[in-house]
Amino acid sequence: MTTMERLNAIFCEVFDDDDLEIAPEMTAADVDGWDSLSHINLIVAVESAFKIRFNQRELLTFKNVGDLLHSIESKIG
Amino acid sequence: MNFNSIEYLLFVPLVFLALLLAGARFRWVVLLAGSCYFYLTLKHLYLLMALFGVTAVTYLCGIGIERCKEQRWKRAFFWSGVGADLLVLAGMKYLPFIEGNLNLLLKGVSSGLAVPEGRVLVSIGVSYFVFQAVSYLVDVYLEMEKAERHPGYFALYLAFFPKLLQGPIERAGDLLPQLREAQPFDQENIRAGLLLFGWGLFKKAVVADRLALYVNTVYGDVHAYTGLTLWIATYLYAFQLYYDFSGYTDMALGTARMLNIRLTQNFATPYLSRSVAEFWRRWHISFSRCILDYIFKPLQMQFRAGKNWGTAAALLIAFLASGLWHGASWCFVIWGGLHGIYLASSVFYKPWQKKMHRRLEVEKSGLLKVWQTLFTFHLVCFAWIFFRAASVSDAFYVVAHLFEGSSGLADLFAAQGATDLAIVSVSGVLMLSVYLVRERNLAQKDFFQAPLWIRWGVYLGLTAGLLFFNMDSNAGFIYFNF
Repeated sequence: MTTMERLNAIFCEVFDDDDLEIAPEMTAADVDGWDSLSHINLIVAVESAFKIRFNQRELLTFKNVGDLLHSIESKIG
Repeated sequence: MNFNSIEYLLFVPLVFLALLLAGARFRWVVLLAGSCYFYLTLKHLYLLMALFGVTAVTYLCGIGIERCKEQRWKRAFFWSGVGADLLVLAGMKYLPFIEGNLNLLLKGVSSGLAVPEGRVLVSIGVSYFVFQAVSYLVDVYLEMEKAERHPGYFALYLAFFPKLLQGPIERAGDLLPQLREAQPFDQENIRAGLLLFGWGLFKKAVVADRLALYVNTVYGDVHAYTGLTLWIATYLYAFQLYYDFSGYTDMALGTARMLNIRLTQNFATPYLSRSVAEFWRRWHISFSRCILDYIFKPLQMQFRAGKNWGTAAALLIAFLASGLWHGASWCFVIWGGLHGIYLASSVFYKPWQKKMHRRLEVEKSGLLKVWQTLFTFHLVCFAWIFFRAASVSDAFYVVAHLFEGSSGLADLFAAQGATDLAIVSVSGVLMLSVYLVRERNLAQKDFFQAPLWIRWGVYLGLTAGLLFFNMDSNAGFIYFNF
């Protein structure tokens, strides 16, 4: 399973939508229910699934799914 | 000078004239000199010195953050800049509050203990430009914006007179490019800016200042009133504040527009919000965006292990800070705390509320919308009691007597005379009609495409309204105090 696929599975779980297909350019505006509350759930779920930890600066500069994916990949190296 | 003063009406054309003579290259010099002069007319030199200090520190730290390669140096520049800016704010705005409360505390320990209390400084504008400076440093630190290298443009970004005293609080990415590029004089913009300015002045001088008559009478001596009178005074205050502040914002946006610069809109019919969260997306938008982006979000991330509890705590802290930003008094702290509690509790009940609405099949019901709007308006008004009251004890008196009779009601309206009452009522109808016309027409056509007689009817009506019905009070704007 690629990182992208694993991340997609987390998105489906957090947003409770099995048909959700993520893409790098996708932003919060494109996903129903992606608000500041579910964003936190998403971050916590990603951190625990990949066993990584983002710092404040990274968290505040993610602009889309691609940024998040890139950061995960750089951490799991 | 205030936007609603004769001096300002002379000052703006003079700035135009100077821009015309100076040409595009020295545009920033004229605007910066004009802004400094504008600030100096408040007759407190230390305000200009504070602006200069904040500008210099923020400018240098911004460049420092960008130039350093090592993260720890970036961080050092960032925190030095933020710390210095906040120190200026604290020194000018909060020192008397801190000293006063410290002395109260010390008095409890021993009657002989006390710290010396300094004089109270005027801090008009300081909270706004300090907030903008901090937002700039954050954006540079997070690499969302490049540090501005030109000291003149940077100084103008903080000092630009239409938004200096009372916002909108502008992000670097929105304003700086416009200051660099905008070309002066565009007939369309001058026309639109003038109309917006006139409309804002009408809101302030005709509507808000007249509503103040009633509000000040009651809130100046709350103990003489009970029940319904207190409700009405609080409702009227909600609208006074809105017309005062949105009137000011229209004047700021109007002036800037005449100079070809678009500032951020601060209001979007906030009292029609269906939740307190929505209210904060529609009231003082440039400020709440700062509170959310620079206080709430970092805290929420920090507390993420606590999930909903972490988010609730972040909301509470962010809104307590918002209260303190408005002024160093316990009334503002309670006001901010109330909004913090409204929002923090919604984190827990919102999912249940959604489920309940779905189960009862009322999700799309019009009645539900009306109920939610009214309920939100009342939550906001309840908090306004603390915002407006002269002291915490006055505010608690109002809260304790909301459901007791209606003493003083007839006297209140009789005292101001029939003319003011009539003007207030007609203005109310006018505001509502303008809102409805705008809502329906905005998407389809522009006001300036309307037939000649409509346009000139509005211009003449507005001018006549301003000439005959203005309160002539030269009253300051409420948000100047923050």
